[in-house]
Amino acid sequence: MDPAEVEFLAEKELITVVPKFSFDRIYLIGGDIGPFSAGLPIDVPLWLAVNLKQRQKCRIRPPEWMDREKLQGKKQEEMDSKFFIEMPNQHYMEITQLLLKYAPDDIPHADEMRTLIKDLWDLRMAKLRSSIDTFVRSDATHAKLNHLTLMELNTVRLFLTNSLDQLYVLRSNLSGKVQATQE
Amino acid sequence: MTMKASENYFDIDDILASNERIPCRVELPIYRLGYLDSSHESEHLLPGTKIEFPYWLGRAVCSRRRHIVRVDLPKQYREGYREILSADATVVDLHKLGPYYYSFGTKLLHFEHVASADIAKSMVKTFQTRFRKIMDSSQNAYNEDTSKLTEKLDEAERSLFRSGQFGLHDFQRWETRKTEKLTTSNMVRNHQKRKRNVMDSNVD
Amino acid sequence: MSTLEDLKDESGEEVETMTAAEVLRKLEEAWLNEKFAEDLLEAKTDLVECMMEQISEMEDNISRAKKGDFKVSIHRLEIDRIRYVLSSYLRSRLLKIEKFATHLLEEEKVRKDDEPSKLSPEEFTFAKDYDKSLESHLRNLALRHMPAHIQSLDPKQIAVRPNLDKYVFLRVNEDTEGVLVEEETLDTGEEIVDMKRGDQHIMRYRPVAPLVASGAVSLI
Repeated sequence: MDPAEVEFLAEKELITVVPKFSFDRIYLIGGDIGPFSAGLPIDVPLWLAVNLKQRQKCRIRPPEWMDREKLQGKKQEEMDSKFFIEMPNQHYMEITQLLLKYAPDDIPHADEMRTLIKDLWDLRMAKLRSSIDTFVRSDATHAKLNHLTLMELNTVRLFLTNSLDQLYVLRSNLSGKVQATQE
Repeated sequence: MTMKASENYFDIDDILASNERIPCRVELPIYRLGYLDSSHESEHLLPGTKIEFPYWLGRAVCSRRRHIVRVDLPKQYREGYREILSADATVVDLHKLGPYYYSFGTKLLHFEHVASADIAKSMVKTFQTRFRKIMDSSQNAYNEDTSKLTEKLDEAERSLFRSGQFGLHDFQRWETRKTEKLTTSNMVRNHQKRKRNVMDSNVD
Repeated sequence: MSTLEDLKDESGEEVETMTAAEVLRKLEEAWLNEKFAEDLLEAKTDLVECMMEQISEMEDNISRAKKGDFKVSIHRLEIDRIRYVLSSYLRSRLLKIEKFATHLLEEEKVRKDDEPSKLSPEEFTFAKDYDKSLESHLRNLALRHMPAHIQSLDPKQIAVRPNLDKYVFLRVNEDTEGVLVEEETLDTGEEIVDMKRGDQHIMRYRPVAPLVASGAVSLI
């Protein structure tokens, strides 16, 4: 899947905005939003938040987890843990990207957030690579991938699935399973 | 590419892999095909003649039903090479032994050679041992010439390397927001290049 | 909010009422499953048609709205997003139909009357035409230049079939116990996994294909 499509899915996440306008409820196909009152925070899908922000019709409230202390804590936790820790949001990477691009003035310490998120990402990708190697060298034929986010999985998708497909063929050679289907 | 033949009849990699040569010894006379053996001038292929056949041909003349030739293992799958691989598979030039080492090796198992089980085991182990290096190099190399990194890889491993690079590049293009910019597709670019070449040669 | 009375649920047995938002959510799930499944899944014709109707209704409304109405641009954005999902869904089906045309038509031939077809009527026509063009292409390009006795191509032999043993990522929607992930072989015992709601796994597609169809797991 193209990373832009993962971002597309992330854009369905709700985010709090503070509108600079008032407007009635809007009946979208995917569900109602509004009514909007100037100055009153309201949750909307990220795609709408970004659009309103681009038209300077709102401020975006950074999600609670987008916070120096919280992210530093997560980073430490990730380093200390053998397993993947649960991220505060399954689309943390895409949301950070979008907010830093379209609403940097609404994010306190924007540059620091970028660095912290990138550190977390790098830590987790390095961990993912070693787990993949351990997995491939083991006798296991399947694995649980809890707490990995879609963007993380998507980055290794082709590589990991193709590797396991090949390994499956080679393993089937041991029992002669695949050969039978080749005739 | 995959190593599984049944998936696509027209898979070019599979066709190439089945064209790899295997050493055979003729057991029953094969009439009027003497010309296949360039080292002799006889009209027929006579019993005892040693000759190399492509896999697809060997498969047709050596099976449980038909035993016109006896098939030997190509040397890169014999014990000597399997020992080298088990000592340290990461340093072996599998492309030189291949280039379809795993895929051709998988096909060879059809002949039910006594060493088949050992070959199958050796291929699994070899793949597992070489895996980390392929993953790391494909995930770390960015914007550089990768031919050095892949020269010792078998074709299936090269294809894995490419999938790793694909994932990495895609993500990095997204991260630097390059996906938003419209660029000409490769096809258009190549076409323009070709046109330019044609024009150049017209000038000459 | 409009409700849609005559929409059948997946089993086709009961008539359920779904809101447009639910239909959209189901369509998005069908889109991702179709994207990642190796084989062609059952066509969700109902969902597609229902969403198309929703969109054209919405477009009618928009055309009647006052010029410069604030909400029009927001409705347009949403419609664009839904259109993307719809066309990406249909396109990934077309890709598979092209790839597996011969195989799908074979399946269609032996399908019993009480089994649902995987292809929508339009897709079936497309598959037939595509298969015919491919065959005549191969004939004109190559076969007719071959010696007479090797001019035939066995459709069974050249048909590309989905490789169900390919690995996929999935997320569990409903607790499912005792999924047989690997059958017993000479050297290994069988492997059975209990799947908990919310878990994510990577495994071969074959053992979970029925669970994708039933909605117990989603491909991600």
